[in-house]
Amino acid sequence: MADLSPRPVPAPDELTQPFWDATAAHRLEIQRCTACGYYNHPPKRLCDQCTSPDLGFVPVSGRGQVYSYTVMRQTSIAGFEDKVPYTTLLVELEEQPQLLLVSTVPGDGAGIAIGQSTELWWEPIEEGFVLPQFRPIA
Amino acid sequence: MTWDSRGKTAVVGIGTSKLSRKADKPLGLLALDAARAAMEDAGIAPGEVDGIVTYPDQPFLGAGNRDGEDLVTVNFLIDHGGLAKDLKWYSQISSGMIPSAFIEGVNALVAGTCNYVLVWRAMHLPAGTYGAWRSNRAGGDTQFTAPFGAANPFQWHALAYQRYMHRYGAKREHMAALVTNSRRNANLNEQAYFYSQPMGFEDYMNARMVSDPLSLFDCDIPVEGCTALILTTADRARDLKHPPAYIAGYGQQALKRPSLTTYTVDDYMACGGSTVDKIWSMSGLGPKDIGAAQLYDGFSPSTYYWLEAAGFCGEGEAWQFVQDGRVALTGELPVNTFGGSLSEGRLHGMGHLAEAVRQVTGRAGQRQIEGCDASIALDGSPMLRNAGILFTSEP
Ligand SMILES: [Zn+2]
Repeated sequence: MADLSPRPVPAPDELTQPFWDATAAHRLEIQRCTACGYYNHPPKRLCDQCTSPDLGFVPVSGRGQVYSYTVMRQTSIAGFEDKVPYTTLLVELEEQPQLLLVSTVPGDGAGIAIGQSTELWWEPIEEGFVLPQFRPIA
Repeated sequence: MTWDSRGKTAVVGIGTSKLSRKADKPLGLLALDAARAAMEDAGIAPGEVDGIVTYPDQPFLGAGNRDGEDLVTVNFLIDHGGLAKDLKWYSQISSGMIPSAFIEGVNALVAGTCNYVLVWRAMHLPAGTYGAWRSNRAGGDTQFTAPFGAANPFQWHALAYQRYMHRYGAKREHMAALVTNSRRNANLNEQAYFYSQPMGFEDYMNARMVSDPLSLFDCDIPVEGCTALILTTADRARDLKHPPAYIAGYGQQALKRPSLTTYTVDDYMACGGSTVDKIWSMSGLGPKDIGAAQLYDGFSPSTYYWLEAAGFCGEGEAWQFVQDGRVALTGELPVNTFGGSLSEGRLHGMGHLAEAVRQVTGRAGQRQIEGCDASIALDGSPMLRNAGILFTSEP
């Protein structure tokens, strides 16, 4: 077994820093358009729906459901080589259709189904980052 | 109202370099091999090519950009192709897949800008695992995916496919019919990477899983190589060596789409339809007129989405449609008659164009569909920026 690569760490920029500042304090905040109310994720310079530049971060409930999932079996992502198989979860937040966040769930996806409700938990990783993670509620 | 320029332009030459997993020469030379083969096939000299166009980008993270090695741009062909000294026109596009470049060539001919257009697609296969994520920094939009262990395109396609299966009741075994059909076709295509390797139902079902529900055999086979086509006006085409493949219509996906964490299948019918509706309307033809369909299969489920979005079957029915030999060479709608990207090799949709040309000109050899006077090539996944061309035997 080769040495493990370091796991990818977010490289925030001006646009995304508020997201990571919030998660560090265990708050999930998503960029929302002041003009039309549309949630943009990943964050944008201009609203995806109405092109307005007036965007700000607002707290969301953290409640959602499994939109889709896939069982990752390849060791083709740095830092995740020893974690396969793991399940990549795509979670749709209740605030808006197709407001999607990616999560990691250990294991081969047994028992996971599209439409299951999810709950939010916090995973601290390197350099002070805290990842918002979701898991299906049994 | 059909398109005024329907049948006014045609493909008159096809050339392909060797397709392999490890090339014995740089990509630039493979592109020149393909370009010269296409000119020879058309019976024209390099100096007669006075318009060129390509889509050069490599579709994976961290791709290199050295011209002639990692990609082959119009600059490389101008410098090394021995083309017309008074080259009239060139273009290279960055969105909409290779048919979008092809469309530029058609438009230039219709405008009377040039006489012969060379279109090519050169694909580099770097050493190591294709598209692997090896960085410990995730910037831009990837900061919301890579730290969560999601960074490979096949994961996005697997998520979309899982949702499709959930919605319509498709199972993995249904896909076996489509994938093994493509392999049978590749076994009749000497330039296919898997020419001499058959694949049966059990082989497919036992394939190594990559990202469930996608197995290794649901992903196309990356190769190094190039395919090139020569286009000209219908007037010139009639005097050349081979029968022309006339261009009856074209289309691109141009819907406004949300920019999400990942693409989804929710709007594949509308997105694919926006491409195909234009093609049907330009050409005056429809799904029932198609003798063979070349439907993009960078990942196998994309062919399902196209079958539905193009109206070959109803929404959610493709997994049933591909059963019982319906998409075989002898079936009611032969699909990916050359083996597709899954079994011929990953030319990012250029193989689909070349095969559509062969089928309408009677040049597909053992896999020729009898009386195939119209073939459509639809490239890219319907829910992404995609494009397609419809070829006919008669103008
Ligand atoms: Zn807005």
